[in-house]
Amino acid sequence: MPIIEVDDLSKVFRLNQKEPGLRGAFKALFKPNYTDKVAVDHLSFSVDPGEIVGYIGVNGAGKSTTIKMLTGILAPSGGAVRVLGRDPHSQRVANARDIGVVFGQRTQLWWDLALIESLNLIAKIYEVEPARYKQLLDQFSETLELDELLKVPVRQMSLGQKMRAELAATLIHEPKVVYLDEPTIGLDVMVKERIREFIKQQNREKQTTVILTTHDLGDIEELCQRVIIIDAGKVIYDGPISTIKDRFGKYRTITFETGSASTAGLALPDGTELVANEPRKLVVRFDRTRTTASQVAGALMEQADVVDFSLAEPDLESIIKQIYSGALREEVAV
Amino acid sequence: MRSLRRYWRVYSAFAANAVKLMMAYSVWFWVELLGQIFMLIIFVYFWKAVYANTETVSGMRAAETLNYILIAQIVAPLVRWSLILDIGGAIRQGTVAIEFTRPVDFQARWYVEWTSQMLFQAIRLALPLGAVAMICFGLRLPADPAVWGYFIVSFLLGNAVLFCFDWAFACLAFYTTEAWGLHILREGVAAFFSGALLPLQMLPGWLQKGAAFLPFGQALNAPVSILTGITPVSQAPAVIGTQLIWLVGLFLFSRFFFGVASRKVTVQGG
Repeated sequence: MPIIEVDDLSKVFRLNQKEPGLRGAFKALFKPNYTDKVAVDHLSFSVDPGEIVGYIGVNGAGKSTTIKMLTGILAPSGGAVRVLGRDPHSQRVANARDIGVVFGQRTQLWWDLALIESLNLIAKIYEVEPARYKQLLDQFSETLELDELLKVPVRQMSLGQKMRAELAATLIHEPKVVYLDEPTIGLDVMVKERIREFIKQQNREKQTTVILTTHDLGDIEELCQRVIIIDAGKVIYDGPISTIKDRFGKYRTITFETGSASTAGLALPDGTELVANEPRKLVVRFDRTRTTASQVAGALMEQADVVDFSLAEPDLESIIKQIYSGALREEVAV
Repeated sequence: MRSLRRYWRVYSAFAANAVKLMMAYSVWFWVELLGQIFMLIIFVYFWKAVYANTETVSGMRAAETLNYILIAQIVAPLVRWSLILDIGGAIRQGTVAIEFTRPVDFQARWYVEWTSQMLFQAIRLALPLGAVAMICFGLRLPADPAVWGYFIVSFLLGNAVLFCFDWAFACLAFYTTEAWGLHILREGVAAFFSGALLPLQMLPGWLQKGAAFLPFGQALNAPVSILTGITPVSQAPAVIGTQLIWLVGLFLFSRFFFGVASRKVTVQGG
C-alpha cells in the first residue's frame, strides 16, 4: 500500500499584479488586478514505503509547492493528498508527528541556542523516549560528526555544519516520511557525501521513505531508484532512472586503449564517430539506435590492436538537460 | 490525565526554551531596564506638573493618579507584546512554513511562549522597577491579599484577551504579507487605550465608551485599577466577568480567523 498518494493535485496562487512605483502600489490596493498562477497542475503519483524518490524539475516547476502541500503547510486548490492515510492539511498536527522536513534554505533550529538545546527541545516536542533519544544522538553524532557542534549556537555555524545539524534535527524522532527540499544546496563535496551516506543509512535501517528535491544530479544518482520529473506543474516523467537513461541516452562512448601507436585509416560502422584519436587511445561515440556496443567494439578490434576498452554510461546531467529543454514534451506530442 | 501530562511536558519545554532565548541577549535587558526607569521619571514629573495648579483631574487626586501611573508603567512593559510583528515576520519571511511542520498547536505554543516570557519579565524587570518606584517615588501597594489575588487573575485574563486580539489581528498578515504597518497601527491605538499613559477613568465619557469597545484596557487598565483601588474590591468580580466574556469571544474569533487565514498562506520564496 502506498505511503503517499497524490491524486489530481492542483495549486493555484492568486497574485495581485502591482505596477511599479508608489502609484502602482496604491492602485493595487484599491483596484487589485489579480492573475492566477498555476503552480501545480493536476498532479498524480504515489510512493511506496521505503522508497527514495527524486523529485526534480527546473526552478519554478512546482517542486516546493508540491512539498508544501505534502507536508500540510499549504492547502491544495484541487485534488487530494494522503500521507499515511491522512490529509496533511486538515490533520496537520497528527501528520507532523510522522514526518520530517528539511528546507535547504531555511532552518528549523533555534538561531541563538546551542545545537544540543535545539535538539533537546525537538526531542521533547516529538516525545522521543529519553533512552532512545540518547541512543540516536550518539549515533547521529558519529555519522554526521556533530560532537564539536553540539555546544555551538546555530548562528555561528557554517552552511555545511548547519545542514548536518538540520538533518539530525529532522530525523531525531524517526519519521516515517522525510521530505528533503534541496538538502545539499551550496555544500562542498565532502559534506554532500556525508549527507548522502546518512540518508542512505536511515533509509536502509528504518525503511524511511524519502522525497528529495534537488538540482544536484549526484544526489539523484547516489540515492534514488526512481525519479519524478515535473515541468510547469505537471508530471512529465515518473519511473526508474535506468529507463530514462535508456530512452534519452541515445549516444554512448567507448574508450579504447590500443597497443600500437598508429591508428590511422579506421573504418567505423554506421552511426559511429571518432571523438578523439590520440596515441594509444581512441574515443568513439555511437548512436544506440543504429548500432550496438558489440558491433563497434568488434569492428575496432579487427582493425586495431586493442588492449582494453571501457563503455561509459550515459551521464544523467546531459539527459536531464535534454528533458528540461523539451525533449520529453516533443516525444509525447509525437 | 495521561494526555494532560503529555501536553505539560511538550509545552513546558517550549516555555523553558522561550526564557532561554530571552537570556541569550543579556545586554538588551539592561538597556530595557534603564529605558523603563527613564520613562518612570518622565511620567512622574509630567503628572506632577499637571497637578501643580489643581487639586483634582476628572475627580482623581494627585496621589491616586501618581500611584496609578507608577503601577501602569511597571506593568506596561510586560503587556507591550510584539506578537503582530513576530507572527507577521514569520509569515513574511516564510519561517511560518517550518512552524507548520511541528506537531503542536500553533496558537497554544505561542501563548505558552509569550506567557512564560512575560512572567520572566515580571521577575526580571517589574521587580527592580517596583523597587525604584517605591524608594524614589513613594509607590504604595495594597496589603489586602484579596486585591492581589484579583489583580493577578485580572492581569492574566487581560493578557489572554490581548493575545487573542493580537493573534487575530496578526492573521491579517496572511493577506497583506506585511506586518510593520499593522504593528504600528496597533501600537499607537493600544498605547492610548490600554491606560498606560493615563487612567482610562479620566477620559471624557464618550471616549471611555469607545475604549470599552477596544480590548486594550482589559490588559492594563483593568488589573492596574484593581491594584490601585480605583476599582473597589467589591467591583473586581464584575471586572473579571467582563474580561471572561472578552476572552471567550476573542478566543473563538481568533481560532476561527486563523483557520480561515492560514488556508490563504502563501509561503514566500523557495
